[in-house]
Amino acid sequence: MVLGADAGFMNPEKMLLCVVLAATCACILASMVAARAGRVPKIRRITGLEAVEEAVGRATEMGRPILFVPGIQDMDNPMTVAGITVLSRVAGTAARYDATLDVPVSRSLVMQAARESVQAAALQTGQPDWYDPERIRYITDEQFGYAAYAAGAMARDKPAACFYMGCFFAESLILAENGNAIGAIQIAGTAETAQLPFFVASCDYTLIGEEFFAASAYLSGAPDQLGTLRGQDIVKALIALVLVFGVVMATTDAFSPEPASEPTAEVAP
Amino acid sequence: MQKDPSRIKVVVATDCGSTTTKAILIEFVDGVYRQTHRAEAPTTVEAPFADVTLGVANAVTELQELSGRRLVDDDGTILRRASLDAADGCDMYISTSSAGGGLQMMVAGVVKEMTAESAKRAALGAGAIVMDTIASNDRRRPHEQVQRIRELRPDMVLISGGTDGGDTKKVTELAELIAPAKPRPRFGGEYSLPIIFAGNRDARPAIERTFSTGGFDLKVVDNLRPTLEREHLGPARETIHDVFLEHVMAHAPGYDRLIAWADAPIMPTPGAVGDILQAIAKGRGINVVGVDIGGATTDVFSVFDGSFNRTVSANLGMSYSISNVCAEAGMESVLRWVHLDMDERELRNRVKNKMIRPTTIPQTHEALVFEQAVSREALRLAYVQHKAFATELKGVQQQRTVGDAFSQEESGRSLVSGMKLDLLVASGGVLSHAPRMEQTASMLIDAFEPEGFTELAKDSIFMMPHLGVLATVHERAAMEVFERDCLVMLGTCIAPAGTAVAGKPVMRWSARWEGGSAEGTLMAQEMRLLRIGERAQVEVTPERGFDVGGGPGVAVKREVRGGSVGLILDGRGRSLSVPGGAEGRRLVAAWAKALELYPD
Repeated sequence: MVLGADAGFMNPEKMLLCVVLAATCACILASMVAARAGRVPKIRRITGLEAVEEAVGRATEMGRPILFVPGIQDMDNPMTVAGITVLSRVAGTAARYDATLDVPVSRSLVMQAARESVQAAALQTGQPDWYDPERIRYITDEQFGYAAYAAGAMARDKPAACFYMGCFFAESLILAENGNAIGAIQIAGTAETAQLPFFVASCDYTLIGEEFFAASAYLSGAPDQLGTLRGQDIVKALIALVLVFGVVMATTDAFSPEPASEPTAEVAP
Repeated sequence: MQKDPSRIKVVVATDCGSTTTKAILIEFVDGVYRQTHRAEAPTTVEAPFADVTLGVANAVTELQELSGRRLVDDDGTILRRASLDAADGCDMYISTSSAGGGLQMMVAGVVKEMTAESAKRAALGAGAIVMDTIASNDRRRPHEQVQRIRELRPDMVLISGGTDGGDTKKVTELAELIAPAKPRPRFGGEYSLPIIFAGNRDARPAIERTFSTGGFDLKVVDNLRPTLEREHLGPARETIHDVFLEHVMAHAPGYDRLIAWADAPIMPTPGAVGDILQAIAKGRGINVVGVDIGGATTDVFSVFDGSFNRTVSANLGMSYSISNVCAEAGMESVLRWVHLDMDERELRNRVKNKMIRPTTIPQTHEALVFEQAVSREALRLAYVQHKAFATELKGVQQQRTVGDAFSQEESGRSLVSGMKLDLLVASGGVLSHAPRMEQTASMLIDAFEPEGFTELAKDSIFMMPHLGVLATVHERAAMEVFERDCLVMLGTCIAPAGTAVAGKPVMRWSARWEGGSAEGTLMAQEMRLLRIGERAQVEVTPERGFDVGGGPGVAVKREVRGGSVGLILDGRGRSLSVPGGAEGRRLVAAWAKALELYPD
């Protein structure tokens, strides 16, 4: 479409999108303000995140390392970002227990982000000496090359706890089955719906979709983040309501009898 | 040397408590073992006597006078029978002891929820009081841990940590905290503090090196968590018993003589109670909970699916700790069990009076109602603590299926289940000496909230410790005395689990017993008492959403045991919620009337 000089500031055809966007922002902002004012929403227990302590404890008792796999995608993927958030928690707990944490990564940028996150967690825990950058290392961008390394590391080092947090594809079952075979406590988190059944069946705990993205707010407990979470949930609930309403309307329309057409007068040529 | 059980027909058993030494006589009468006489005398472990055997001899002398059988020899020792035909003496003398504060231990483990918890379970199961648990993740700085270790004066220390082939560094670090801290033992200046190491076998050389500095008596036993999936407490518990005898008892006044008199190792009193409950649970194939509520502490024991647990709630009791019960539960929670109008200020005075005069007993109806209300809360809180402690092992790999996607339960679930509970045994002053058996049954039901079918009983004279030791040498005698003389059967409680909505039915029931029958519908918030005699055939059909053990809405037909109280039908639902204010008082009064708690 070519915009002429008479084109308006707003495209009227996209007005609905603008309203939805404004409503979404308003909901999230209102929830944030409410949370800051003390009405902090309560989040149900996410067992996968609660079990981090237990998994790290197991590694400590068994004197074995913890393996953390932040997926095979780069930092532009929100799942990888969520995975790094969980890594921070795992690293903080591991530093407190003085347990060994191995983080093989498949993207160089993720390695840098992971190193910074782990170092910050170690500092925050008061164990700066615990941080060892050599344990967070780049392996390969190649999907199955990376999976082969991770599986080999599991077989060799027999980690007592394995975390899979990020974006996974066909390698998910290779990793999780290997972890299961060596008897590790496994905690997975992804929003890849095709991989979730594999993780659920082979891991001890799985963060499913939204749970995974909620991890940041859940772990930090910051009112702003919790408020954002509530705002997003309200918008999602509204969208679900609109969808249900639409389905009902469409169904009603489909089953309603066609209105009788008006007889038209024939016009003689 | 172990005696031939067939040659044991007369047994004298004593329990040396902090204040009283209780003695019982068990005899083989008409083909079964029965407890025939009981006596007691003040314990003489403290100055000026400073010899525990004097109290034992006094108690047994009283037993001798009551039974007409000579039991004390001229030299003051327990007289043994020369032959099975001899009229005087006994075939066996056994004893337990909790005098002088019982067995006090400190435990340590690498991870608080894993090996440290297993160490605590081993110590508690052996009958000890756990003074503190040191762990690498207990959120205390090393200097704070050292300070705490120095403050404590335990009888012994149990160290665990690392699975076999697992961590050695952390467990050695624990030892390196304890060794230089040099905790002083309770008894004896020249006494080497016993240290029991039940951790990773690979760490043994390092542990031995650490404690080789002197002042310690190190004993190494099998790891109590060889793998995280398995708990192996037996060797650690046995060593605790041995060390208790060799070191702790040997240094307590008069215990060297008492040990020489006894035909079986002297056990800590709570350890013996645990043993008899385990024997009963195993023998009858049931799940059991036992409670002993004292003045300062409340002990809860449970055996579920063969797994034994014991907890000591150190600040929940009916005299020294009564203020703490009221503070922890809140006066509002205590008062919800009181159906009479009472002045709260007066009640607070009553609580403080009981604390400073611990041996007083209620003199008025109001005082009795109030004391029993406090006991309900003390028992409830102790049971909550017990449920939180008696859990599945933590740190264990879970097995899942795709069906678990939305129901991923955490590990460490409580083993204690109201529905699986078969027998609830009460002991301790406020329960054993309640004026009416109905009051004991009511306190148990309100505090423990049993679900489905649960038998209620009480150990009226606290005979369980004696029988616990007896079970180690003559199980049949212990079982027979337990069934016939130790337990006073109160009856059975049938409580459907589910949410009770006022005015709605909870279950239909019918019962037939010798000389009578009855049937009806139990409504929500209703309680009923049926005097059924010894036994009754009962059929209950719970309403939708209620469960009596067969599943929601599924009818159950079975025989139930009666007793001094009878059959109690509890329609209050689970979990139990008692409203406050006038409505709550009206309900509690109705329940008290239905169970005939205070008929006068």
